[in-house]
Amino acid sequence: MPNWIQTITNSRFWKSFFRHGWPDNPLDRSLVMSSNIFFHLHPVKVSRKSLRATYSFGLGVIALICFGLLSLTGLLLMFYYTPTIERAYTYILTLQTQVPFGQLLRNMHRWAAHLMVIVVVLHLARVFYTGAYKPPREFNWVIGVILLLLTLAASFTGYLLPWDQLAFWAITVGTSVAGYAPGAGPTLRIFLLGGTEVGQEALTRFYALHVMLVPMGILLLTSVHLWRVRKDGGLAANQSDAEDR
Amino acid sequence: MNKSRVTESFSRSSSKTYSLVELVHRAPTMMVDHGPENTVFSFPIVALIELVLVLGVVMALLWMSLGVNAPLEEIANPNQTTDPAKAPWYFMGLQEMLEHGHPTLMAVVLPSLMVLFVILIPYLDNNPHGAGRWFTNQRGRSLTIKTALYVLVIMPIYIFLDSTFPPRELLRGVLPDLVSQVVIPGIIMSVIVLLPLIVLNRQQPNAREVMLVLFTVLFVSAIVFTVTGFLFRGPGFKLFLPWNMPGGYNPFMNL
Amino acid sequence: MRQSSRPKITRAQFLSLTWLGALVVLAGEAVFMLISFMKPKASGGIGGLVYAGKIEEFPPGSVNYILSGKFYIVHPAGGLMALWQRCTHLGCAVPWAEAENQFHCPCHGSLFNQDGVVIGGPAPRPLDRFSIVIKDDEVWVDTSKPIERSNFDPSQLTPV
Repeated sequence: MPNWIQTITNSRFWKSFFRHGWPDNPLDRSLVMSSNIFFHLHPVKVSRKSLRATYSFGLGVIALICFGLLSLTGLLLMFYYTPTIERAYTYILTLQTQVPFGQLLRNMHRWAAHLMVIVVVLHLARVFYTGAYKPPREFNWVIGVILLLLTLAASFTGYLLPWDQLAFWAITVGTSVAGYAPGAGPTLRIFLLGGTEVGQEALTRFYALHVMLVPMGILLLTSVHLWRVRKDGGLAANQSDAEDR
Repeated sequence: MNKSRVTESFSRSSSKTYSLVELVHRAPTMMVDHGPENTVFSFPIVALIELVLVLGVVMALLWMSLGVNAPLEEIANPNQTTDPAKAPWYFMGLQEMLEHGHPTLMAVVLPSLMVLFVILIPYLDNNPHGAGRWFTNQRGRSLTIKTALYVLVIMPIYIFLDSTFPPRELLRGVLPDLVSQVVIPGIIMSVIVLLPLIVLNRQQPNAREVMLVLFTVLFVSAIVFTVTGFLFRGPGFKLFLPWNMPGGYNPFMNL
Repeated sequence: MRQSSRPKITRAQFLSLTWLGALVVLAGEAVFMLISFMKPKASGGIGGLVYAGKIEEFPPGSVNYILSGKFYIVHPAGGLMALWQRCTHLGCAVPWAEAENQFHCPCHGSLFNQDGVVIGGPAPRPLDRFSIVIKDDEVWVDTSKPIERSNFDPSQLTPV
């Protein structure tokens, strides 16, 4: 290695940041995983079986990537959006016609949202068919089902925001379904819409749910979900690997 | 290690050079009699796999976004209903269900039971053996495929027949709505869902096999209903072939 | 210590229970505040009293749409009735189909007759109605509270 690189990597500043050496040996490869907040979600060593593409298809990771991408594009869209029934639609038009890459950003947000719903459903099916819900992973399965419902909630609340005919009638129909729940149904519908019909109150509430409450819930439960995957011994493939031996 | 499982079967007599320390009740808590681990260091392989996935997802979405614009119709008008009016695609399964029975049964009771069942799966099948293997074994795989084929055949037939001869309309005024919209669809749905379980029951299945069959019935049904509602429902919410919609209606405009 | 002098519940247990009770009450208060806060201000549909028109504008057999209140004034034999345009199936706006002499919802094909009673389609109950107040030959409709019903009854009509 050139001298100047060694000078940098031996400096106190560098060492205060990276608490391991170049990861080309077992010790430093372990330290990378245990001393980095993002990597420490992973175990130091993984079974070859759990890495097999045809075992997990990487669906959980793809769902998380979608969520990250949606947070990023959604944050950028917020710079141009106002949740009022007079201006929301105009802002979407402005975004699409006058803002550079505005249309592209909106497209990515939309398609990533649909992809996330599909991937989360497929992830649920994968976990079921590989029997990965079995003890000790029972409760993580429950958290996963709640995360699926939250994903649907995130997508559904975002559906209203463009305030076009598609959005208006989809939300009218969708919330009317909720109104059929015996007992609390009509009340639930009115709480969700802020009134008896889709209007300004509904747009305000859906906006708050879409940009804050639901994503926060997803973030929180995803953290618990990933943490429990680690605590329960990684992917269930590890366990079947141990049984095979 | 669970302390309550530790059994002291032998006293630690000083005259003995050996003792039983612990009984392991359940594999794979301890790695006794196992060969070397078939593992690799996570770094860098896991980091690389995740990087490739990030790049792949971003690239796929970017290409899709460059090619296809997100739909935007005219501004919302509360006085003019679109025809048809559809919920987002992932709720089209629910809306399709609504066509076949009373809303409380089809949109609330049955979906709630389904979510409840899905949540309870690990508590109904709590045998840890066989986790981490697709379909557990060969029998599980063939059960799943047979069940999926059964649903793929019977559900479209049911949807088509029920839309052509809807008991709701045929029995309107003849029988109370409770019978034609709740009892009859409820019985038909129950028979369709429970029939594979009755057949399976004669082969003395274990809990995992029951879960495989029931989950497959519900999962594939959900897909069939969603696809029907999204692709095959046109103006007036009537059944059409997706490429043969009247009035130039394109179901993909609803994405 | 003698058995009889031992209290049924120790001081520590009593204090713990008191604290627990207080926490439960506090949580209940928080939930109550949250629900009250989230409860929509206007619980009704479009709002208060809406002026529909003079009585003579609604001859027997007529169906008139009042845009400002999103309802229909129908006049079957026996009196006036105000029907909310919201479909009882999934909330679409139901138009009056003059040629078919019935309400025909385009969303999912629900059909209602002039009294708002379901004659076809998936709608589970007749169209909701609003109560009518007649003052000095003027028809006013209270749109703050839709009235659900399971069938048509002449008592739902406001005689003129």
